[in-house]
Amino acid sequence: MKVYQRLAANFKAEGVTHMFGIMGDANMYWMHELDKLGGVKMLEVRHEGAGLGMADGWARATRSVGVATTTCGPGVSQLATAFLTASRAESPIVAFCGEHPTNDQEYNQRLDQARFAAGCEAGFVRLNTPDDADDAVRKAFYMARMESRPVMLSAPMDVQQKTFEDDDEPYKPSSTLIPPRAVRPDPEALRQAADIVAGAKQPVIIVGRGARWSGAGEAVLRLAKRTGALVATTLMAKTWLSEDEYHVGVAGTYGTRTAMRLFEEADCVIAVGASMNRYTIEHGYLFPKARYVQIDSKPHVVMAGGRSADCYVQADARAGVEGLDTLLEERSFRNVGYRTPDVRKQLAGQYEDRKEFPLDPGTVDPREVIRVLEETVPTSISLFTGSGATAGFSNIMFTRQRPLVLPSHFFGCIGQMMPAAMGAVVATGNKPAMLVDGDASVMMHLAEFETMVRYDVPLLIVVMNNEALGSEYYKLHAHDMKSELATIPTPDLGAVARAFGGRGRLARNAEDVRAAAAEWIAKPGPMMIDARISRSVVTLPYRRIHYGEDE
Amino acid sequence: MIEVNERIEVPSAPRTVWSVLSDPHEVVGCVPGAALGAEQEDGSFDATLTVKFGPAKVAFRARVALELDPAAMSGRVLARGKDDKGGTRIRSNLTFRVEERAEPAGSVVPIEAQVEIGGKLASLVEGGAALVVKRMTREFTERLAARCAAAAA
Repeated sequence: MKVYQRLAANFKAEGVTHMFGIMGDANMYWMHELDKLGGVKMLEVRHEGAGLGMADGWARATRSVGVATTTCGPGVSQLATAFLTASRAESPIVAFCGEHPTNDQEYNQRLDQARFAAGCEAGFVRLNTPDDADDAVRKAFYMARMESRPVMLSAPMDVQQKTFEDDDEPYKPSSTLIPPRAVRPDPEALRQAADIVAGAKQPVIIVGRGARWSGAGEAVLRLAKRTGALVATTLMAKTWLSEDEYHVGVAGTYGTRTAMRLFEEADCVIAVGASMNRYTIEHGYLFPKARYVQIDSKPHVVMAGGRSADCYVQADARAGVEGLDTLLEERSFRNVGYRTPDVRKQLAGQYEDRKEFPLDPGTVDPREVIRVLEETVPTSISLFTGSGATAGFSNIMFTRQRPLVLPSHFFGCIGQMMPAAMGAVVATGNKPAMLVDGDASVMMHLAEFETMVRYDVPLLIVVMNNEALGSEYYKLHAHDMKSELATIPTPDLGAVARAFGGRGRLARNAEDVRAAAAEWIAKPGPMMIDARISRSVVTLPYRRIHYGEDE
Repeated sequence: MIEVNERIEVPSAPRTVWSVLSDPHEVVGCVPGAALGAEQEDGSFDATLTVKFGPAKVAFRARVALELDPAAMSGRVLARGKDDKGGTRIRSNLTFRVEERAEPAGSVVPIEAQVEIGGKLASLVEGGAALVVKRMTREFTERLAARCAAAAA
């Protein structure tokens, strides 16, 4: 048996069912072996970075390890942005990357892949000798799962071709190493937390992805009702638990004015599975009067502004919240807090954005596009929102719960959400889903629409097309500079989609959007709607940040 | 750095306008969100200023020093402060003069100021802060005019 054959068998033993990437001669043998073994579907993409992005989307949707593969050198260097995004998203990924032969330092495609991985915040495991084949795969998967991060497994081409000696020994997968994970809260810390919460009149609970992954939803709502708390989410957990009557949407710059006004009065914030970075709490300005209780499974988290919570409880989210609720139950603690008819009245219509803007000719109000999609697309359809200026609409105005609602912004870059959305759709068994993203974003990995068509991925891509780099356009405008420098025309992306073999429509008004969306819903498949939106409509966050408006 | 360069027009006599502008207790009433605190030995004042940048309310504690030249009817205001969370600094240097306006009768107050906002909020508000300062200047003008009219009456 050759090393590459053992490596392939080990990946299969780790439970891999799908992988994304591009074949080159440094991963060709491994891919060929996996095809021979059967049971692992290989999706060939058009840019390795998009392949890793799909593995990232897979990991975000399932919390299981996403797998990507590239050849050495130029295949690896294509992964930079995707690795950084996956690192910031804390996604468990193993990328099988061939490496140049160890006995050829002048190899045309040579690259110091260890340094590259480090620079891109990815973990790194190198296969140094044939005997390491099992250890290398096991370690890569172990690191990806334990540390919840992307890992590059780098396998030199010549080592892959050597003989693997121990092929009578079964491979022990990473699951044999990983301990049971739930972290129980320290009783003293929990008591301290209960003291703070019991002394609070106006509490707010902020839930992040950690709370969702832990299954803490029911416990959080129970705690909210007991303590009279508002329920808010981080951007990344957007719409989760919105069935609660006192749900106020996102905490941060994507929040509503109603929420921010209510937060001004909060005297206690209970953060659950949320990192509480500067975007969630706006350096503390969002909650000027509050003390913080933070429950997270990490040993410790430093919040925005270099501060620590008044009480930090290291715990699995669900265990921590349930423990806190039990302590408060023992004290017979109940508080009305925010949960009053008056607050309910304030919350009605909190997501409405009534500011009037005259529209550019032949365009639609971007807010109208979101409203139409929110109404027309059933809640069984998952939603992915991209980065860029138009996220200022989609991240606030989509409020209904869906099987998956995944925003981006992990690394503040455009272009990464399309691959992530594709990977997430494949991960959920090709269930139809919708991506709402900007034109520059979609143009960046446009070639992957061909991948979508090839694998019949039922993703509807609604392009919020203002033919511009939106963020820069508004910043230039706000500083009285030449905003035309940030405009870039696009072709009719509906026609482009059809030329790629998918479906597509150009939309210049709300009715066009509605009709095109309805067409997709009736028959889901790879489709693009090129929605021409007006540049004159400024997003709510930009009105605040760049124009100082109190909205 | 935010630069303020305004010429405020007040329909009151220069002496009246000067009497308001040279009295810290009167001036502070013209600055929206400001309050005067204790006077220090060196003549400077403690002050608080609450400003809304977008929906974020920031409460600054500042030390304000006032230099007045009654003969020339001009003054300089130096303020240094930070917010009570310690995350944001504000520094401002403002000069003003009261001049006579012939037609219609009244006063013109040229104001030049440099306002520096540093720390965490600087990135949060970016261009918005300049617009907030502009808005505050407008409100200041309205309140000054009202106070001067009341003082003259």
